[in-house]
Amino acid sequence: MENKDKKYWRSPGQLKDSPEYRQQLLDEYMTEHSEDPNQFSRRSFLRIMGASMALAGLAGCRRPVEKIIPYVKQAEEVIPGVPQYYATTMPFGNSAYGLIVESHEGRPTKIEGNPAHPSSLGASNLFMQAAILNLYDPDRSSKVFHKGKEKKFDEFITFYKELFDKLRNEKGEKLAVLSESFTSPTLSRIKKDFEKAFPNAKWIAYEPISDENRLLALENLTGKKVQPVYHYDKADIIVSFDADFVQSESDSITAAKGFGAGRKITSPDDKMNRLYVIESGYSLTGASADHRLRLQSNNIGQFVLSLAKVLNQRGYNLTELSSNATIDFNKEWLEAIAGDLQGNQGRSLIVAGRNQPQWVHEAVYLINEALGSFGKTITFTEMDDSLSSSLDDLKALKDNLEQGQIETLIIVGGNPVYNAPIDLDFDKLITKTKSTIHLSEHFDETSSKCDWHIPRAHFLESWGDARAVDGTPSIVQPLISPLQNGISDVEFYSLISAGENKRGYEAVRATWGKLIKGDFETGWKKVLHDGLLENSSSKSITPTLNNSRMTEPVAAQVRSDRLEVVFRSAHLYDGRFANNGWLQELPDPVTKLVWDNAAVMNVKTADAYNLQNGDIVELAVSGRKLETPVWIVPGYAENSIGLGLGYGRKKTGRIADNIGFNTYLLRSSGNMYLSGDVEIIKTDKKYKMSNTQDHNRMEGRPIFRETSLAEYRRNPEFAREMVEHPPLKSIYPDYDYSKGYQWGMVIDLNTCIGCGICTLACQSENNIPIVGKEQVGNGREMHWMRNDRYFAGDDNDPSLVVMPVTCQHCVNAPCEQVCPVAATSHDEEGINTMTYNRCIGTRYCSNNCPYKVRKFNFFNYTKDMPEIVKMAQNPDVTVRSRGVMEKCTFCIQRINRVKRTAKKENRTVYDGELQAACQQACPIDAIKFGNINDPESVVAKAKKIDRNYELLAELNIQPRNSYLAKIRNLNAQLNKD
Amino acid sequence: MNKPAENIAVSSEDVPLITGGQTFSSITEKIVGIIEQKTPKTWYLAIGASLSLLMVLMGSVGFLVWEGTGIWGLNNPVGWGWAIINFVWWVGIGHAGTLISAILFLLRQKWRTSINRFAEAMTLFAVSCALIFPGIHVGRIWIAYYMFPIPNQMDIWPNFRSPLLWDVFAVGTYFAVSFLFWYTGLIPDLGTLRDRAQTRIKKIIFGILAIGWRGGNRQWRHYERAYLILAGISTPLVLSVHSVVSTDFAVSILPGWHTTIFPPYFVAGAIFSGFAMVMTLSIIARKIFNLDHLITLNHLEKINKIMLLTGMMVGYAYSIEFFIAWYSGNIYEQFVFINRAFGNYAWAYWIMISCNVVVPQLFWFKKLRRSIPIMFIASILINIGMWFERFVIVVTSLSRDFLPANWDYFSPTMWDILTFVGSFGLFFTLFLLFIRVLPMISMTEVKGVLPEADPHHSTGESHE
Repeated sequence: MENKDKKYWRSPGQLKDSPEYRQQLLDEYMTEHSEDPNQFSRRSFLRIMGASMALAGLAGCRRPVEKIIPYVKQAEEVIPGVPQYYATTMPFGNSAYGLIVESHEGRPTKIEGNPAHPSSLGASNLFMQAAILNLYDPDRSSKVFHKGKEKKFDEFITFYKELFDKLRNEKGEKLAVLSESFTSPTLSRIKKDFEKAFPNAKWIAYEPISDENRLLALENLTGKKVQPVYHYDKADIIVSFDADFVQSESDSITAAKGFGAGRKITSPDDKMNRLYVIESGYSLTGASADHRLRLQSNNIGQFVLSLAKVLNQRGYNLTELSSNATIDFNKEWLEAIAGDLQGNQGRSLIVAGRNQPQWVHEAVYLINEALGSFGKTITFTEMDDSLSSSLDDLKALKDNLEQGQIETLIIVGGNPVYNAPIDLDFDKLITKTKSTIHLSEHFDETSSKCDWHIPRAHFLESWGDARAVDGTPSIVQPLISPLQNGISDVEFYSLISAGENKRGYEAVRATWGKLIKGDFETGWKKVLHDGLLENSSSKSITPTLNNSRMTEPVAAQVRSDRLEVVFRSAHLYDGRFANNGWLQELPDPVTKLVWDNAAVMNVKTADAYNLQNGDIVELAVSGRKLETPVWIVPGYAENSIGLGLGYGRKKTGRIADNIGFNTYLLRSSGNMYLSGDVEIIKTDKKYKMSNTQDHNRMEGRPIFRETSLAEYRRNPEFAREMVEHPPLKSIYPDYDYSKGYQWGMVIDLNTCIGCGICTLACQSENNIPIVGKEQVGNGREMHWMRNDRYFAGDDNDPSLVVMPVTCQHCVNAPCEQVCPVAATSHDEEGINTMTYNRCIGTRYCSNNCPYKVRKFNFFNYTKDMPEIVKMAQNPDVTVRSRGVMEKCTFCIQRINRVKRTAKKENRTVYDGELQAACQQACPIDAIKFGNINDPESVVAKAKKIDRNYELLAELNIQPRNSYLAKIRNLNAQLNKD
Repeated sequence: MNKPAENIAVSSEDVPLITGGQTFSSITEKIVGIIEQKTPKTWYLAIGASLSLLMVLMGSVGFLVWEGTGIWGLNNPVGWGWAIINFVWWVGIGHAGTLISAILFLLRQKWRTSINRFAEAMTLFAVSCALIFPGIHVGRIWIAYYMFPIPNQMDIWPNFRSPLLWDVFAVGTYFAVSFLFWYTGLIPDLGTLRDRAQTRIKKIIFGILAIGWRGGNRQWRHYERAYLILAGISTPLVLSVHSVVSTDFAVSILPGWHTTIFPPYFVAGAIFSGFAMVMTLSIIARKIFNLDHLITLNHLEKINKIMLLTGMMVGYAYSIEFFIAWYSGNIYEQFVFINRAFGNYAWAYWIMISCNVVVPQLFWFKKLRRSIPIMFIASILINIGMWFERFVIVVTSLSRDFLPANWDYFSPTMWDILTFVGSFGLFFTLFLLFIRVLPMISMTEVKGVLPEADPHHSTGESHE
């Protein structure tokens, strides 16, 4: 609580700053009005904002004491109604994503990627978009607890200082810290302080979902800790072994962007990359593949070895690996892949998913090295300032705990009672210590077992830093004072390492003093402005692999008629996003389920056990049992069952609790991702699940249009020629839309991966409510932008396509004509607008909309919204009432903002100045939006591409949106028909 | 059926319209007697049941206003459900009254006299029931008045291109004209009631309602002229109302809705269901009030013949829709019709076909045509079938539209059902009040078709 500024005081009480005075200050308004203590009203927000700042010593000024510099404009003062943008960083496991956060009068409302940051490149992933809702999560813990009793943070400090002295005298002999993994200069510096203070203590990291297998493989082969950096944009041939790199693997944004870069074709003469995916489930990467092979995850390693064998025969030095190959896989496939790899030496990339064991990763790296990919499509950096998750360390900790060697266990973040391997019995282990301390955002499963619970601050409330995957250090700066009295990671680390309650700001500045070259204050301001330290990525290294150190492959032949389960992370990641309604309600891209997880399997497997959607089965994995419902998805590998992690929370919050099934109960340290020891027993029970799409097929309609590259070259106009219709004429005279701005959108289906980030970004930007599982089951989800998923072809081995659909802003809009009160109408810039105040809710517009993109507020969905969640709402967008139709407006609030700016500067809006929320978040630049009247704009050029087609244009509705048809770059060897 | 009656007392088929040797006096006694008698216990029972149902309606509408449209089973593709189905169904039922009164009047169908009064009343009550639904089905009921062209400070008018607005005018006009027509027809009978009234209150009320009716020659001349003009105005309305209602669907671009056959098809269906409802009610009324001599089997047989005709018209419409879907070559259109017959709502489709197309075929046989139990059951089945026709049109088309990703299944909730059931409460309450306080058969007109009324003009046009 130190401050350099001169201290002013309002009353003697404040000067003395006694605990009574603080309490009095907090209680000041309590009797004046009644307020639900569980909720967080605007008034209490202002009070805390005001009071906490006053307590910090700067009476009468609410501005944070530390300097935060806006990203774009210098904000001398806040102009009400004009948002400010700040750069910060979202640490995520061993990686970090740079953000630009929009803030309205001190209230962050929207997260975008930082274009300068190497891991986000201006785009977003699901967790980045959803993080803003986590900030305003009303169920976050706001109090310190000791053995179930509420305490003050100061009491914890007093307790810990005593403990600290005792522990230091013992050199940390009986102390262990279990943290989340990180890559952070400050945390790493503090950890070194910790090691100095407690040389004998243990500090380990555990993440239920991590790249441990991949990193271990590299460490084993190279002898040092290195981080791989993949350059998908440089690869012409990509082979994925169970790696969903566009969506659920680490650093998916750069992967998706790179992959997309190789598929952005504008004419038939352009080159395109080719993607092979060998996988057990159906991932979005599999859906994007040119060729996809279904194979049980347990057999994929053997497939890698067989590929090595074929490559060995073609003259690559992979003798060691190929000698282990025991199964003969589809020769055609192996030859096709090998041929492509050979023909694209140095321009190929093979990746294995985090589900695969260490030896498979090792084999993949060896093949990559043999193919000359190192230094070209894969580079490596040394891992600086990082602590990675280690299962072995966790097992060692278990032994220590069991033997009573640990008296004090400090758990920083994470939720091991819920998500540690079940065979470690963490909930029992934790009781074998004298004292346990847990820093956590929620009072969760682990908190309830620990002695002390300390509320943790959100990263938007904290100072900190993190390194991107290429080593670039980036800054985490707070956008708002902790809403729930949380303690930031840096502050907590400082406290446990040095026994002093130091401000995060000081700690971070202390670290960056060494990182910033030249004048510190100038450099610091620039870092705060940019969000990162420019040109500071770690040096790229090209290690050599020592194949003699390769781990023994699992040679035993795995029979494909044996069941396997694969644990996958989905929208809730490892469960930390379970209390996030946006992510809960975002449909799974493949199953389309919301608010649930299930045992996902293909049709044949379900038939074999006589199962149907919603049947509850008892899954037994290595003897541990769990009842879970079944969901059938075409295209999974036979006898491979996918289980989503992160559901079935018990003590987290009103959204997370009792949603879905806790699959961690089946996950033991021996089978973190895969298990071949599975039994299914059908029960008589049924379970109702909600999904957003009932029908899987296109019924032969020309909706999603695709063809092969060869066919496209033969007939570039194929997409438009898929529909024949009579001349389209209207009885009304046409309005002249050739002047001024004319907004339009193009979605490139060839690059779109169907991740659903557009849905989430739109939800965040446009205040779209969540409606809950039951209402989704009633077909009332509110997403303005949705992703239609269709299967095509054979039911067992179908292809899967995803098509984002939002309002197409038809020039001749059928919705406008039928509205009796003219609540929906066209503006002169071609936007189909909604006048919410005028809408009486006949729903006729929705009935007449062929895309069904209009969403109706059947109930008052915001009625029960906690006050604090209202702070996440965008003040530029109306919150719709009950009985009103709503839909995509092309982010008209953003359009008007840039138009105002342009008008003030006496110019027109230039291309690229304006981005719709969906477009901005898209990691693969599939959405192009702008003024179609400007022939030089990206969107106008995209509309001229031969693959451009308008969905349902034959209805003479003249959609403003259009799609670029998908092209699959098929290998002629595999595509005989 | 259309030639001028040679003998006023008998129909073209030489069967007397009124049987049982009725005289002017016996008709007055019979009809007014129903009102003047002590209220029968069964009436109390019936009104009690009806009021209970009316409470159900008010309760479910109240909850709807309180909670939101979400209490119904609607979802994203299926934006319209039971409310619109009920609206179209009730409007359809409201077609028979004016048709019987106006068109049959213009066509000189004397047999209409026994049933026109309560058929007209039924029209008014059915249209009242119908009018509830467009009002309550909107999301924000409290501003539903935006539909009316009321001048306002925002200078916003309703969108005159929207069929829903046409509906407002078409149904509103229909209700107003039907009411006037019915009231005009009532005036001479109200005079009779006033003259026979025994209490002062009744005398004053009926006196006001009778607006000075004396039964003088000049009054009769004016009256009959006015009645004829109103019949002339009503006639196009009978055809226009349901044609306009059908444009709610036909003007949209939704496969299954977007067809030009809808206006005549809807009108035929409306007459079909209207007559079925008249049949159901008149069988009950003639049984309870012993009106066998006024509403004779001949009347009922004629209604059955009209149902046979209109039933085949809707049957033709069903089949021509399939033909056009195939002939159009439009894949969306084709799918919708195949889906209707064989898809997820096939059960509803086949209920519709059985009730609307198969059941009326019974009336080819004279014996069945004149069998009270058969026609009673058939009339109820036809009304069920016509409700399902609207269900098939509204729900199956919406639930399977252009993009398969949007497809969803509609299931009604308890509130959908209660609102519909409750609307019968309103209908029967109004109907029971009507038969209790007003003459349910037009005394004037029935007397006009008695032999005594014939002034022995060889080629007289009775209502000139």
